[in-house]
Amino acid sequence: MIFLILIYAFIFLINVPGLIKRKEWRELTAFSILYVIAFTLGLMYVLDIPIPSPMKGLQHLIVDILGIEYPQG
Amino acid sequence: MSIEKGTISSQQLLFLMAGFVQGSVLLIDFTVGITEHQTWMVILAGLAIAAPVVFSYVVLAKRFPGMNLVQINDMVYGRFLGKAISIYYIFFFMMTLSFNIRDVGELYITFLMPDTPFIFLLIVFTATCAYAVTKGIEVLARVSHLFVVTGMLVITSTFTLLTSQMDFSNFLPLFELPFIRMFQGIHIVSAIPFGETVAFLMIMGCLNKTEHAVKSTFFGLLIGAVSLLIVAVRNTAVLGRTQAIWTAPSFQTIRLIDIGTVLTRMDFLIGIAQTILIFLKCSILFYVLAVALSHLLGLKSYLPLVLPIAGIEVIIAATVFQSPVDHAMITQNAGIIYSAPLIFIFPPLSLLIANIRGLPKNGKG
Repeated sequence: MIFLILIYAFIFLINVPGLIKRKEWRELTAFSILYVIAFTLGLMYVLDIPIPSPMKGLQHLIVDILGIEYPQG
Repeated sequence: MSIEKGTISSQQLLFLMAGFVQGSVLLIDFTVGITEHQTWMVILAGLAIAAPVVFSYVVLAKRFPGMNLVQINDMVYGRFLGKAISIYYIFFFMMTLSFNIRDVGELYITFLMPDTPFIFLLIVFTATCAYAVTKGIEVLARVSHLFVVTGMLVITSTFTLLTSQMDFSNFLPLFELPFIRMFQGIHIVSAIPFGETVAFLMIMGCLNKTEHAVKSTFFGLLIGAVSLLIVAVRNTAVLGRTQAIWTAPSFQTIRLIDIGTVLTRMDFLIGIAQTILIFLKCSILFYVLAVALSHLLGLKSYLPLVLPIAGIEVIIAATVFQSPVDHAMITQNAGIIYSAPLIFIFPPLSLLIANIRGLPKNGKG
């Protein structure tokens, strides 16, 4: 947990002051959204909260719902 | 508006392409379990099928000089459909990058550093790729030949050292497997090592001269395909039918090198070669992902996105599959099916639409 906070504090410090100084608000917004997503995922991983796998969802959609699959064996 | 200011030469494109395909050398293990001793045939057939598709990528890039995939999609399909297709591509780049990062982690945790925490390996590797991406495509392109030469050197030297243990009757009987398994194998090979080069549609806009782009792309593809072929032939000739039961046939093959009890335990060579080749592949995919996302969001630079993307990729790589078996099972089915439209349909379709509509129109392109 401490490492996670340190890493994300470091990422924040090397990006945000420059973006504010250059008044790149669009870049700052994009950075902030991705930063929050990344931190949330990191936090969920550290706290052992199950993270849904996008590939499991795709597998369910393609194989179970659409029935597209190569035969096994 | 172009986010990337660097330019690359045709020769650098050749090495980037070759290194990118070589970076998938570990992934032919997905095919080996299905196509066994006929893997070499599947690689040749996959190359034959992928070559015209890759040709369409280069022709598309030449038709829209200085533009990348996101810009081409916007121009060909219109603002909304173009953006939707670009989001589909971004998802594909994101997933492909996370799979490759995971491959490195699995390689180290299984064979080289079993006591190291998996997440630590992923963080270190992704941070290195992120550092390379911040330097831009020009820097990656300038060093790409070193990676390709090292990869080729390891592949050819291990092939030579194993010649005495090869049994070429392991390739018999030919055409034994059912058609559907061959078809699946060809689909895997044409989609994973060769089809993933669709990512180069984000890079070809940086070419300083597009005249030799077709030749460079094909030579690069050919160098990569020859590397895959040498590895497949080596593994089958040495291990025979048992190659299908190993988690990593390449490692098992290299472990059999024993020249006068002096040259033994050469598997570290594969570890080094794999690491640098997957590093090049991941760096290219990472760069492509960051630039595509920045273009989609209309940003002036991709640099602010690099570290947050790295953070997301590490967690996806750590959690996307439960085990290497799960990884192989999903990639052999859903993994290659969901990416098929992006690799085989959209680029040739874009080219067709651009031809019909006469794009790019003067003043727009």
